[in-house]
Amino acid sequence: MVTTLTTNPQISTLSDVFSTQNGAVYQCDAERCWYVDFAGKVAKFDYRCLLKLKKAVYNVDIEAKLLDSSKKPDIEIIFICACDHTYILTLLQIIALKEILEGTFVMLQLNNIIQDRLYRVAL
Amino acid sequence: MKDLIRIKSLISAEVEALLNQQVKKEATSSSIYLAMASWCNRNGYDFSSDYFFKQAEEERQHQLKFYKYILDMGGNAISPDVTGIKQEYNSFREVFEEALDQEISVTQSIKNIYARCLKEQDFVTNEFLNWFLKEQREEEYKARRALELFEVIGEEGTGRWQIDKHVGGIKYDSEA
Repeated sequence: MVTTLTTNPQISTLSDVFSTQNGAVYQCDAERCWYVDFAGKVAKFDYRCLLKLKKAVYNVDIEAKLLDSSKKPDIEIIFICACDHTYILTLLQIIALKEILEGTFVMLQLNNIIQDRLYRVAL
Repeated sequence: MKDLIRIKSLISAEVEALLNQQVKKEATSSSIYLAMASWCNRNGYDFSSDYFFKQAEEERQHQLKFYKYILDMGGNAISPDVTGIKQEYNSFREVFEEALDQEISVTQSIKNIYARCLKEQDFVTNEFLNWFLKEQREEEYKARRALELFEVIGEEGTGRWQIDKHVGGIKYDSEA
């Protein structure tokens, strides 16, 4: 499930996963979720919803939108099924969010490799 | 930082995507066999029609095996769209040629997933795939044997009738 927070969660319980100038993703081990700080709000995503967000953002054809010369506004609605949460983003914001998510998943994969190689072997 | 994704799912996102692709491939295979069963039935090849009905059912079982494995490992199994199935064939022989092509492409696809799992050291999925590799031996053998009947018996005269009669009897009982 996704919840929008009006105030920032207690930063001490969160680990930085990835951040850029435009936003950041934090992980909360206790709640087993991620907080995505982007477009002026902090939203909480569980595992399934984070994957759905990734899929929704990756599915936007940025190149086609850049080449589109019609007068339509370059606004994209990122709607995630079964989550009471929506992003309404401009093309530049989509590019920024995609960058954050790409970085996030690389970091999560790196964490997986570190856990596998260092901790799980030693246990 | 906990490895939350690994806690939720045993298989990686890449392997999950490949397995879902395979679900679709098996579903497509099943539909193709069903179309072949229909074509054979309409053209009077009763034994071949039964053979393809059985094959369609087997492919469906394979699809479900992959589907349930993805779910059991904590992944997201996607029910596939199957469209654009060829309904008409030019000849009796063409049906069997395409059946073999289909099996070869399934074998190749399973080999690709196996290679990816080896790269990731996902031995759990490799072990799961072993069953399918063995199954593909049988599937390819049967498809190849059926096609060989066209060479051995020949299509002239009552040849096609003979071929049809023998298709039902093809069995793979290797102990190896």
